[in-house]
Amino acid sequence: MTVNQRIWINAIIIVLLMTVPLLIKRTDLITWFTYTLLYISLAQSWNLIGGYTGQQNLGHAAFFGIGALCTRFLWLYGLPLPLALVTGAVAATIFAVIIGFPAFRLKGVYFIIGTLVLAEILKIIFFTVLPHASVLPSKILNTYSLTPRYYLSLLMAVITVAVVYWISRSRLGLGLMSIREDEDAAEAAGVNTLRYKLTAFLISTFFAGMAGGVYAYFAAAALPGEMFSAVWTFDAVIIVFVGGVGTILGPIIGSVFFVLLQQLLSLYLPAGSHVLVFGILFIVVVLYLPGGLIGLMTRLRQLSPQKESDQIAA
Amino acid sequence: MLEVEKIDVFRGEIQALWQVSLKIEDGELVSLIGANGAGKSTIVESISGLIPLTGGSISFDGVNLGSKSAHRIVERGISLIPEERGIFPGMSVLENLELGAFTPKSRKKIHESLRFVYDLFPILKNRENQNAGTLSGGEQQMLAIARALMAKPRLLMCDEPSLGLAPIVVKNIFNVIQQINQSGVSVLLVEQNVRAALALSKRAYIIENGHVTGGGESQSLLNDNRVKDAYLGTG
Amino acid sequence: MIQLIAQTFVNGINVGALYGLAAVGLSLTFGVMKILNVGHGEFLMVGGYLAFWMLRLFGVDPFLGLPLIVAALFLLGIISYRLFFATLASFPEEVKVKNSLLVGFGLFLVFPQIARLLWTGDERAITPFYSGGSFPFLGVRIATVPLAGLAVTVILILALHLFLKRTYFGKAVRGTSENWKAAKLMGINVNRTYMITFGIGTAIAGVAGILVGLTQSISPDVGMEWTLKALIVVVLAGIGSVGGAFFAGLILGVLEAVGAIFMGPYTVALGLVIFLVILMFRPQGLFGKA
Repeated sequence: MTVNQRIWINAIIIVLLMTVPLLIKRTDLITWFTYTLLYISLAQSWNLIGGYTGQQNLGHAAFFGIGALCTRFLWLYGLPLPLALVTGAVAATIFAVIIGFPAFRLKGVYFIIGTLVLAEILKIIFFTVLPHASVLPSKILNTYSLTPRYYLSLLMAVITVAVVYWISRSRLGLGLMSIREDEDAAEAAGVNTLRYKLTAFLISTFFAGMAGGVYAYFAAAALPGEMFSAVWTFDAVIIVFVGGVGTILGPIIGSVFFVLLQQLLSLYLPAGSHVLVFGILFIVVVLYLPGGLIGLMTRLRQLSPQKESDQIAA
Repeated sequence: MLEVEKIDVFRGEIQALWQVSLKIEDGELVSLIGANGAGKSTIVESISGLIPLTGGSISFDGVNLGSKSAHRIVERGISLIPEERGIFPGMSVLENLELGAFTPKSRKKIHESLRFVYDLFPILKNRENQNAGTLSGGEQQMLAIARALMAKPRLLMCDEPSLGLAPIVVKNIFNVIQQINQSGVSVLLVEQNVRAALALSKRAYIIENGHVTGGGESQSLLNDNRVKDAYLGTG
Repeated sequence: MIQLIAQTFVNGINVGALYGLAAVGLSLTFGVMKILNVGHGEFLMVGGYLAFWMLRLFGVDPFLGLPLIVAALFLLGIISYRLFFATLASFPEEVKVKNSLLVGFGLFLVFPQIARLLWTGDERAITPFYSGGSFPFLGVRIATVPLAGLAVTVILILALHLFLKRTYFGKAVRGTSENWKAAKLMGINVNRTYMITFGIGTAIAGVAGILVGLTQSISPDVGMEWTLKALIVVVLAGIGSVGGAFFAGLILGVLEAVGAIFMGPYTVALGLVIFLVILMFRPQGLFGKA
């Protein structure tokens, strides 16, 4: 597939997505789309630090929460939404700067668990400090429309995917992937690993904060503590892994399947059953299919005889 | 007794041994000599079952060792003292020795083996309850040998026993190895100290870059010009 | 005033012993095989549920039925090891630790959902006829069930200690944890040793689960909470210190009990903060080898 072909396909997909609210009127379907796009943003932002850089940050929810909380309160206070969104994301990034330096002193497993613990501490604090749900005032509720929320979600998803894609093709991306493969070797080759890791971390948390902001705009009522729930992290992680860690398409198809499964299964089984399915898939991926669904598809394609003619044509 | 036939061995993606063959008869003391990195350790680790074979076969007493796991090979009577010695530093000398007799067969004779080993290395008896990590280099080597003997092996393989030890200690170790051989245990000795190895053993194989490039009676090898130039230098 | 302190201390010891017990299994597994089983708490949960249903359906007292739970969780542990962790055993250490963490995470996702499907999300407390009883002792109230739990914990940990120190297989476990390659050369079946060690770890977690069910309650999400507690204790004690895990648990329990007086609802964060502090400034923990 040539670059031009790819650009055309992407453009067509985006245009199609933009027409969704015009063609579909069922609010549950639009909600479904909105959620999928939100998860794409969330997962792709985690993919940058967890997939491309190999630093499995399990505290992602903290930045989602900070973005969500800031955006929510600033917006409800009267700030125009775009400003509130960006401020929320910046707040998340500032927090990332604060904990980034100490966090990255921890290696491997300790980094993973340490970030999780940090996010948990934040959750506890906010659950206790703000125990009451934040409900949208009636003024806004009366004119609540899914359409702008859908478009915002779409915009965020497109931006996040584009940025991560661009990074993956850049020198920064190369450095990040070298850190993922062998940090010591990368350091020895002259890569300033701490600076690269922090850069990826800040970008990742910025978009996590943005995703949180989108959620804050979307949710009619939300418990502040819930915005920091580790479930946001875990959902992102399993989506990325099952989809294909360290790939661009991975988080996208992962999110699509995730939300699809969630909507379907919730009709017949208790809530959360989709996590059971994804959890099993996750274990299978970790043990046997490190490339996730994308990796599986790549391997299947390599087995088919059409591959050669594809290569000759390209 | 031990027949290694044309084995190919890979360490990860890199081939380390090419068509290596060697033979050890019952009661022999045979050396593997060669430079650092020639593949000598790989040979003994393959015989021990720590590294799988990609080609060829190894048989002991006529039985193909195939892809048997390492602990089964110990049960069959082959013990390896690895280059790093591999003693358990946090455990006492006695506990190390006890673990040496882990296989069911050797466990039955554990007391007898302990006595034999303490006779060979009296200093271990003195340090019985000390943590193995606190022993000196030479004592650790003795412990490693003693521990391997606890398994009552019929073939003992020693990988670089003289490494990092003072000459006097080395002399002692080699004496012990000779004693062990005289008590009926076959020995495969991997050594960089070529002179000592050839003095001790009846036969030797020369390993270079993963191939067996020569071999024969130790006496004649000592007089071989190629060996003299490559390995014996002016020592 | 003194009575308040003493009572707090006693309560702290009770809970702390549980923390220690929950941590010992995790410490054992991590120390021996370098597998950080983040799903450890799930086995605790299963143990608790088994004890609950044993009492509810068959009237078997949880303490009397303890050996059954031990056997069941041992079996479950062995099966889980074979299914999920055995393939990781041969990888280099760094990859092994990271991937085992991910696999354990997978267990943490899957087990609670299965529990929820089977047994609903209701909280279950194990309440034999004697629960709730207590007696006064030197001015403090000692509750009988936690006291029995403390006794069970101490006995179990002593038994584990003796097993590791005195028995042949226990020594093999210790040897394997120090140098698995050398252990293989002794004729030790390292894979089987790993499997059995894992089973012992999950069995101990199961017992902890019974005690949690007796003194608190069991629900599908209890696993994560206790995995975190176990992790804090393991880090506090230091990797490789199985006995130290017990004492570190006691310390954490008492600290939390005392902290609760001043910190109220934030007390849960205390352990987490201690965890981070230790990781940053004293990574070898209180008793571990550097």
